[in-house]
Amino acid sequence: MEKSFSEKKFASLIQRTLLAGVFLSALLLFAGFAFTVSGAPAGTTLLRAGILALLLTPAARVMMLIYGYWRGGEHYFALASFVVLALLGLSILV
Amino acid sequence: MMPELNALNFSVLVSFGVFIGLLGSALGVGGGIFMVPFLVLALKIPIHQAVAASLVAIVATSSAVAAVNVERGLANIRLGITLEVTTALGSIAGALIASRLDAGAVQLLFALMLFPVSALMFHKGRKGPAPQAAPAAGPASAFDSAFFDPALAAHTPYKVKNMAPASFISFFAGSLSGLLGIGGGIVQVPVMNLLCGVPMKAAAATSNFIIGVSAAASAYVYFRKGLIPLELTAMIVTGVLIGSFLGIYALYKARSEKLQLVFSALVLLVGIKMLLAAL
Repeated sequence: MEKSFSEKKFASLIQRTLLAGVFLSALLLFAGFAFTVSGAPAGTTLLRAGILALLLTPAARVMMLIYGYWRGGEHYFALASFVVLALLGLSILV
Repeated sequence: MMPELNALNFSVLVSFGVFIGLLGSALGVGGGIFMVPFLVLALKIPIHQAVAASLVAIVATSSAVAAVNVERGLANIRLGITLEVTTALGSIAGALIASRLDAGAVQLLFALMLFPVSALMFHKGRKGPAPQAAPAAGPASAFDSAFFDPALAAHTPYKVKNMAPASFISFFAGSLSGLLGIGGGIVQVPVMNLLCGVPMKAAAATSNFIIGVSAAASAYVYFRKGLIPLELTAMIVTGVLIGSFLGIYALYKARSEKLQLVFSALVLLVGIKMLLAAL
């Protein structure tokens, strides 16, 4: 098992992914409200993008898990994460 | 009739979102249990759209809270990702079933689900905090973990057992989530705590971690079917994000037993109202 990619670094990678998704979503939503209130047509698009950014955050987190477990040599958990990502992909298609 | 984006609706829905976010992050009480009835009974939103909005809000709370729990080492990620496989499968199934049921049937199922939830909360409130699980004997597994418990000021290692039945039950927790727009922690936390032997705090954090993915999986199904009410959801989610972060940092140590009793009564009341509205 490769030790250079420590548990701590892994946790911080996941944390940063989640926070980035949440803040991006909040930013888009606020911009969306501002545009909607001022009557600009971009408002709806921004609100939709904000909701999408939020909904994609867990998927991004699962991608980071695949990367982290693969790098750490824990292939079983990398595979489990991959299956979860595949299921998320499937749920968009059904 | 969807609420329009105006100052009144904005402040009401954002405030409601803050309340839900606080509940979810400070007390670990699922927001969906209150959000769906609020949208259906008070705002007359069709239940499928209420469920969809609730799922998006659950993704928001889960992501905000998980970011902090992962850093604290509370959420058991290996356990979480493994249970996510069956939970996600279940939540997709639940969302597909819901899209084939009419509003009355979903509402009735929701109302019926609230009664055992109320009883469970009442029980938890009466009993006080769950006793610490005794360190389990048995073979070591890759799921075993440890965390620092600030209340005990101690490093708390634990073993994880019974993964096969836990994965099986997680499928149903996921289905319930996708069908009714609740997180599913009400099933997931006791399963991890009682069946797997995970200490309560770690079980709650891991459940929150799992819920983000399962709620997203069913939310994608609702999104594809065009059932997410955009402005309404955006307003609630904004509040939920604010409430979640406030809850994490401000009310981290809130004692929840008394509140559990209050909420169990509230859930019972909501259950009766939902039942009457469905019949």
